[in-house]
This record gives sequence, structure tokens and C-alpha cells, in this order.
Amino acid sequence: MRISEQAKQENRSRILDKAAEIFTGKGFEDSTTRDIALAAGLAAGTLFNYFPSKETLAMTMVSEALVQGREDYLRRCTGREDLAEELFLFVASGLRRLRPLRPFLGPVLERSLSPFPRKNVCHEGETARQEHLAAVQAILVRQGFTEAPDYVAMTMYWSLYLGILAFWSNDTSPNQEASQALIDYSIRMFVQLITGSGAAGGDEHAE
Amino acid sequence: MRSDKIIETELLELLPKDRANDPTGKRLAELLARISMKKIPVNSFSRIWTLGSLQARVTAGYLAYWLRSRFRNADEKQRLKSEAHLAAALQLFGAMGYLRGAVMKVGQMLANLPEVVPEEFAEVLSALHFEAPPMHFAMVREVFLDEFGREPEELFATFDRQAFAAASLGQVHRARLHSGEEVAVKIQYPGIARTIKADLRNLRLLLQPLCLTIDWQDTLAKLADIERMLLMETDYTQEAMFCKLARSAFTAADQVVVPRIYDDYSTARVLTAEYLPGCHINDFLATDPGQGERDHFTRLLTVATYRLYYRLHWLPADPHPGNFIFMPDGRLGLIDFGCTLMLNDEEWIFSNVAIQAALDRDLPGLNRSMARACRFDDPDDMEPDHLEVIRQGFYWFMEPWQQEGLFDFGDRDFFMRGIDNVMEATRKGYTRSLPMTIWSNRFTFGGRAFCYKLKGRCEFRDIYLQESAGVQPNHT
Ligand SMILES: Nc1ncnc2c1ncn2[C@@H]1O[C@H](COP(=O)(O)OP(=O)(O)OP(=O)(O)O)[C@@H](O)[C@H]1O
Repeated sequence: MRISEQAKQENRSRILDKAAEIFTGKGFEDSTTRDIALAAGLAAGTLFNYFPSKETLAMTMVSEALVQGREDYLRRCTGREDLAEELFLFVASGLRRLRPLRPFLGPVLERSLSPFPRKNVCHEGETARQEHLAAVQAILVRQGFTEAPDYVAMTMYWSLYLGILAFWSNDTSPNQEASQALIDYSIRMFVQLITGSGAAGGDEHAE
Repeated sequence: MRSDKIIETELLELLPKDRANDPTGKRLAELLARISMKKIPVNSFSRIWTLGSLQARVTAGYLAYWLRSRFRNADEKQRLKSEAHLAAALQLFGAMGYLRGAVMKVGQMLANLPEVVPEEFAEVLSALHFEAPPMHFAMVREVFLDEFGREPEELFATFDRQAFAAASLGQVHRARLHSGEEVAVKIQYPGIARTIKADLRNLRLLLQPLCLTIDWQDTLAKLADIERMLLMETDYTQEAMFCKLARSAFTAADQVVVPRIYDDYSTARVLTAEYLPGCHINDFLATDPGQGERDHFTRLLTVATYRLYYRLHWLPADPHPGNFIFMPDGRLGLIDFGCTLMLNDEEWIFSNVAIQAALDRDLPGLNRSMARACRFDDPDDMEPDHLEVIRQGFYWFMEPWQQEGLFDFGDRDFFMRGIDNVMEATRKGYTRSLPMTIWSNRFTFGGRAFCYKLKGRCEFRDIYLQESAGVQPNHT
């Protein structure tokens, strides 16, 4: 039986909604695709037509949130930010969109974004990583860097970003304010690394 | 940025000097240099994280000086042990929470323990800026989204991207409300309150077993009080509440202004207040004001502080000169009530009984009050010299109250006598006292140092009589 494109889209977003609810309620590890299919009113087999695994499902949410975060960042960017500030805006906008997923995000990110080589690379995770790094590159270009940063710089960036994600997903402070300080300092460190300068943006108070 | 050499020279000037062992302050500077060179994991790349800034080192210097002076006379073994603790404490201090603002704040408070040489501190305090790491605008925006769910430009008609002043735990931006009012928006650096809490706890745990003096428990009690006040300062809703109460204590005729607080734009981390135009004391003095102007502001300051004392039972214990604004229309602006001690009934009565005893020249009564302030049950339990030194200090405090006509707070002789008294008490180890005295000392010395700098006079006795009129010393 063939169903319309519209019905497909509806199913897909219903699955995502229900999955978020179930992940939040039970945690990622203890949720099963069967629970999700049931909640979405679909057969388990049908669910697999949309999302081949629980991990894909979760990472699809992550990647969609990050896409929205990127849009937010582009909208919010005034063009007057210096490098550190613009990177901060970018990272913070993404985390804000990820916030609703935070209750179950730890194990998802651990599996899907692990920097260690894995047998089954998570396609959505890999795409999210590529897109995130492409956006960082675009920021660098806009900030006047003529050469693309090499693998050292990008690996450093990605390590810092994963560190931020790991800390943030486990941050119990109100509004994850401890993470905000961490993002600030991590980005200043990265900017110092790639510019070789002592003073990162916003380092001095106005007199 | 200034060169290291200038910083070193300046550092030497600012550090406390130990007359006997280290008259130039050089040894202390070396100790600090050794510690600030140590590679703690985060210190290699940003001065924000280290004892790299002049202020941080001066603060650490005072801490070191204070701790050291505690075990100068100990035996060799005890001394070595204590030195090791000192190094650990300083290192912790230097590495504390990576937030310079928090380090400074703690230092500022610690240095207000009477055990620390107050003479130099009166000077140094005014030279230091205690400030949090600067936030770029993107970070300010995140704070706004978290606190209000809106961007600053949505919330306000205009909002300056760049801060116009640093605050100890954050920074201050100018903005305009949609209804047209000019405001100053103070924004706290995310997480700084929690960091301070953790730092203070660590510091206390580290100091606890030191047991440097017989009165160590007394010092610890004061530390706990300092901790309590510091934590209060991290909550802007408290400050807003203080501000509103203070504002209601003045009328237009007083020429003292406390800015209006805008609640819809304020939270625990963001404080929006009416913007008060004007300048701080240094800029005011740079205009070479005449005696009349100096006296005018001295009078306003005196009225302001004693109004708060008599009407609200407060000790505004933050003598920071940045808290007073000399407004172009001749009014005095009072900002920042973060560090205000609200006297409880017992403290309030105790304080007035002492004042009254001095005014009545009731020596036995005064002695009883002094003994209590020093935590003795009875004046006879105190060494006569101890009682004498403390009483002299209080007489000094009371001098302006007893003089008819103009009192000259710019008189160097007068100011130095007060300083000498605290020095003497410190030197002789007469530091045991109620925690409340930390704040009353800050209140007194802060206010008097300010008026001394201003070289101002006022009819203090008249002001006291006017402000205390109708207030029963023994009732609330
Ligand atoms: N309402 C205001 N009008 C004008 N200037 C203001 C106002 N509020 C704050 N400022 C400026 O910002 C500076 C810091 O503000 P404030 O003293 O409130 O900060 P703080 O961190 O509480 O200070 P402190 O270091 O004394 O604890 C002030 O010295 C002043 O220059």
C-alpha cells in the first residue's frame, strides 16, 4: 500500500514527537523502538521504514535542532561580532535548541558523536558533525581567515565542542550557567590557539 | 596593556610592608611571583585565570601578609608547617574558580578583617577594581534569553552593546526603556555566584585546621560572616529590595538619590536601575572643586549614611568609592546596596547603648559596651591596656558627635589617629570581636576615608541630632 507524501511527513513527525516523550520519560537506554512504535500507533516494522534504529531517531532530533540553532545564529548575528563572540553565538544558539532534548542526550551523543573509530558510523551523527564544522569554517572565513584551518585546528575545535556537550548534558546548574562560562573560556582558548594572540575578543572592559 | 616592569614597581608600592622583616615588601613580592609562576593547569594562557593581574597579586599579598603575621612567633616546626599551608592557601587562591572577579571579591572581603593592616588598605582599596571577566555581547544576550526569554533589544528600546562600567560580579550596560527612561543594567557573569560559594567553602576548609592564634575560632566566625555577606551580594533581588527601601528614606529636599529599580527588567542576575548621571570621586576631585562643594557633598554623604542607620538600622558596609555618584545638579547618588548589614534588634540596641554611653560620658557603661564588642563578659576580664586601646578607638569614632559646629573630616591628624588606633590594636593582637564589628569598621573607615579624600567638612553633630530625633536608642 502506498501512502501519500503528506501522510509520510505526518508519521515521521509523530514518531519524533513520541520518541522525544519516551526518551525523556524512560531515558534513552531503557526506551525501545517497540515503545515508540506503539505510542505512535504504528507497527514496529513500519517504524523501521522511517528510522532504522533508536540511535538514528535520536540523532535526527539532534541534527534538526542543530539546523534550527544554525538558523537562529544566522538570524541573530549582527555582523559586528568578533571571532570569539561569533563562535559563542553559534555554539550557544545550537545548545539552546538542543535544550529540550537534554534529559536524554548524554548517552545519545556518547554513542553517535564519539571521536573514536566505530564499526557502525552513525550517519546522522556524521552529518551533524560535518555541518557544524562547515559552519565554523564559514565563520572563520567571514572573520577574514584566508586559509582553511588544518586538521589540527579543527580537531581541537571538535574536542572542545564535544567537551562542552558532555559537560552541558550533565550540567545541573540553573539554565546550565556553568556551561556558559565553559563555552566562553573554551572559545577564548580556541581563538587564542588559531590566532596566536593573547587577547581574545571582549577581553577588556570598556573604560 | 602595561609592561610587566611597571606592574612589578606598582606591586611593590601597593603591597603591605612588614616593618621588621620585609620593609620594602620585596620578599612578599617574590613569594607571589614564585606562586604566580607555578603552572597550574589553566594558568598559561589567560591572565583572567591567574595571579597575573596587579590587583590579584596585591590581594593575594594581603592574604599572605595576614596569614603570615599569625605565625611570626611560632616555633620553627610549627612555622614550617604553617608556611606549607600558606603556600597551599595562596595557590588555591590564585587558581580559585578561574574567575578573577570572584578572587577579587573574596580578597576584598578578607582584607577587611581588622587583622590586616588597615592603613595601607584604606589606600589600596580605592585603587583596586574588583571585576568579573568581561562578557561580550553574545554572552549578555544568552543571559537575557535565560532570564527574560527575550533579547536585550526586544526588552529595551535601545541597549548598548558595550558595557560602560565593570561590576564586581559582572558588568553594567546603558539602555533606554520603551517608556523613555534611561537605565543602567547590571548583568552578572553566568555561574559566578556558584563559583564564589564553592571557593569560599574550599578556602574555609583550608583555613579551618590552621589554628594560627588562640582567637582562631573568632577569626573563623568572622570568615563565616564574610561568607554570608558575600553570598548576599550575589543575589540581585536582595540588592533590589535594599535599593527600594533606601530610596523611600529620602525626599527631593535631601538631595540624596537612590536609583529607582525597574522590577520588570530585574531578576537575581540582572538588575535594572534608573541611570544616574555624574562622576566618581576621582573625577570630581579632578575638577578642583571649591571648599563649598566639598562640604556640600560631605554633608550629603553624612546625612545619607546616618539616615540609613537611624531610619532603617542599616550599616551600608561597602565603602567602595564607585558607589557614590557626584551628580552635575549637586545631588549625591547612592548605588549598590549589595553589601548592607541589617542590624538585628540586639545589635541595634547594643550599638546605640555604646553611642549613648560615650555621649553621656558614662565610663562604666562604655566599658561594658567595649567588653561586649570584644566578646568578654565583663570589662574586668580584659587586660587594662586592651580595654584602653579599644575605648580610645571608640572615642575617636565619637569625636565628630561631640563637637559643635563644623567638623573637618579632611584633617589629616584626625584621620591618622583613627588609623593608628586600629594599627595599635592589630599589633597588640586585640582583634577578637563580634563579627558585626567587621562591618561597623568598614562603615566607619570607608565613610571617613572617603570624606578625608574629599577634604570635606560638615556639621556632624547637628546632622546626628536631626537624624536620630524621634529614634529611641533602646527600642526599635
Ligand atoms: N544606576 C546607575 N547609574 C549610573 N551608574 C551606575 C549605576 N549603577 C551602576 N553604575 C556604574 O557601574 C559601576 C558598578 O556598579 P555597582 O557598584 O552596582 O556594581 P557592584 O558590582 O555591585 O560594585 P561593587 O564592586 O561595589 O560590589 C558603578 O561604580 C557605576 O559607575
